[in-house]
Amino acid sequence: MKVGFIGLGAMGRPMALHLQQAGHDLHVWARRPESAAGLPATVCATPAELGRRCAVVFTIITSSADVEAVALGADGLIEGMAPDSVLIDCSTIAPDAARRIATRLGERGIHMLDAPVSGGTQGAIDATLAIMAGGDAAVLERVRPLLDCLGKRIVHIGPNGAGQVAKACNQMIMVAAIEAAAEAMRLATASGVDCAKVKQALAGGSAASRVLDVMGERMVNRDFGAGIEARLHHKDFGLVLEAARKSGVPVPLTATVAQQLNALMAQGWGRDDTASLLRVLELN
Amino acid sequence: MKIGFIGLGIMGRPMVFNLLKGGHQLTVWARRAESMQPLLDAGARGAGNPAEVAQGNELVISMVADAPDVAEVMRGVAQGAAPGLVAVDMSTIAPAAARRIGVDLAAAGVDFMDAPVSGGEVGAIAGTLSIMAGGSEAAFARARPAFECMGKNIVHVGTSGAGQVAKAANQIVTGMGVLAVAEAFAFAAKNGVDRGKVREALLGGFAYSKILENHGQRMLDRNFKPGFKSWMHEKDLNIVMQTAHELGLCLPGSAATAQMFNAMVGSGMGEEDSIAVLKLLERLSGQQ
Repeated sequence: MKVGFIGLGAMGRPMALHLQQAGHDLHVWARRPESAAGLPATVCATPAELGRRCAVVFTIITSSADVEAVALGADGLIEGMAPDSVLIDCSTIAPDAARRIATRLGERGIHMLDAPVSGGTQGAIDATLAIMAGGDAAVLERVRPLLDCLGKRIVHIGPNGAGQVAKACNQMIMVAAIEAAAEAMRLATASGVDCAKVKQALAGGSAASRVLDVMGERMVNRDFGAGIEARLHHKDFGLVLEAARKSGVPVPLTATVAQQLNALMAQGWGRDDTASLLRVLELN
Repeated sequence: MKIGFIGLGIMGRPMVFNLLKGGHQLTVWARRAESMQPLLDAGARGAGNPAEVAQGNELVISMVADAPDVAEVMRGVAQGAAPGLVAVDMSTIAPAAARRIGVDLAAAGVDFMDAPVSGGEVGAIAGTLSIMAGGSEAAFARARPAFECMGKNIVHVGTSGAGQVAKAANQIVTGMGVLAVAEAFAFAAKNGVDRGKVREALLGGFAYSKILENHGQRMLDRNFKPGFKSWMHEKDLNIVMQTAHELGLCLPGSAATAQMFNAMVGSGMGEEDSIAVLKLLERLSGQQ
């Protein structure tokens, strides 16, 4: 099948390669052409051209505005994609924006799934991403074989926007857990206790978690080079707080963690791993 | 002076009355035509749109709800403006939005100033608003006679956006101030101590504040009528938190306070005064 892919960053590139390796005819468009270099793919001049050629298009890019521009802007996907074709947006954007884009595409008979992912770069490389999909269930079933190339756990959450709501929930839990791990590591060290030993002990008990495992390890090793760049979590927390505000739901812990992320950004650590929340605590 | 005024709500209407009282000639416009009538009766001239408000006037003032409204009416003002017009927005919007509008208007030859106010409806009626202005010296000088009809404490804070920064800072202090007084009262009550007596004692010491005095008394009276509506305070704290997010600024107290106001709006207290945060605290601590 001809599959389009837009967004060839740390996540997108390995995902696109999995689709190609599964035997699909990969087409890409990149804002900076050099990011498509070396990919076994046909490079298209515009998103519209990519849309004309492919029945299914993936996007995984940074912001709501970027997705809107690529999907709906001048020379956007909407100008090329045929009725009944499918856009699968794996970006993390605001639920509202996802619904808006789906509605606009729907007016042309183009389907859209919001399908944000969790699992990080490693999950993208290993094709073990968790994928949370919002949109028409029948459309999801049609493209499920493609998603199976990228991830293990593919869940239909609900209508358009629901996938992004699930992703927001994912980010709330995960980054709060990173902050909790950082605070525990900081307390252990400040108390004269070996934080590596503490982490090792905790891994066997009720506090065990994937975050403690992976991010805790980075904190113990003081390995703050990215995994997932903290600026992306910072961006996501802006979305979460906006969604909470629109729903009138108080999120006191999320709001507090967001302030630690603001401090992290102020230190210029946005391109480092979010394990850097430990370093924010060490500023005091 | 010949002044145009856009936005005739709870705040805008008494501000126009005070400008008329000060001997100025007013041209007014509001989206809802019926809100113009009382001012026309008082001697103001009506306009058909924001562009007409700008025509033939030396100063245009807007007092509307949010940044998109300000941008929209100011686009109209720019169309009707003669070069050198000074346009002053007294709404509360994000500093970044105010700066953007300032740049857009400068291109049309209009000198834009942000001048949000504090003091609420009471201050607007009495002409005792605090006015915090951001923009050029020339714009401030032009607007000053108008400001003096509407307010008492008038400060030129700095360049474009500085007025909105001061207003956001004001909302940080008042938001946390109201929450602090409410928490102190909840603390006293849960300990079985009379909060009225606590307030009285505190008024003599370092915890004295206008908020302890005024808002504290209204909490004791359980008078939750606005005043300043919770949803508006929530909106203003959202400006604070969004700005903090954009700048990389750690504001843990404001963040916690913003979530309390978020909870108030979510639980249907948005139309009540921000002191209703006391009720939220009481509910959370099983004090009702």
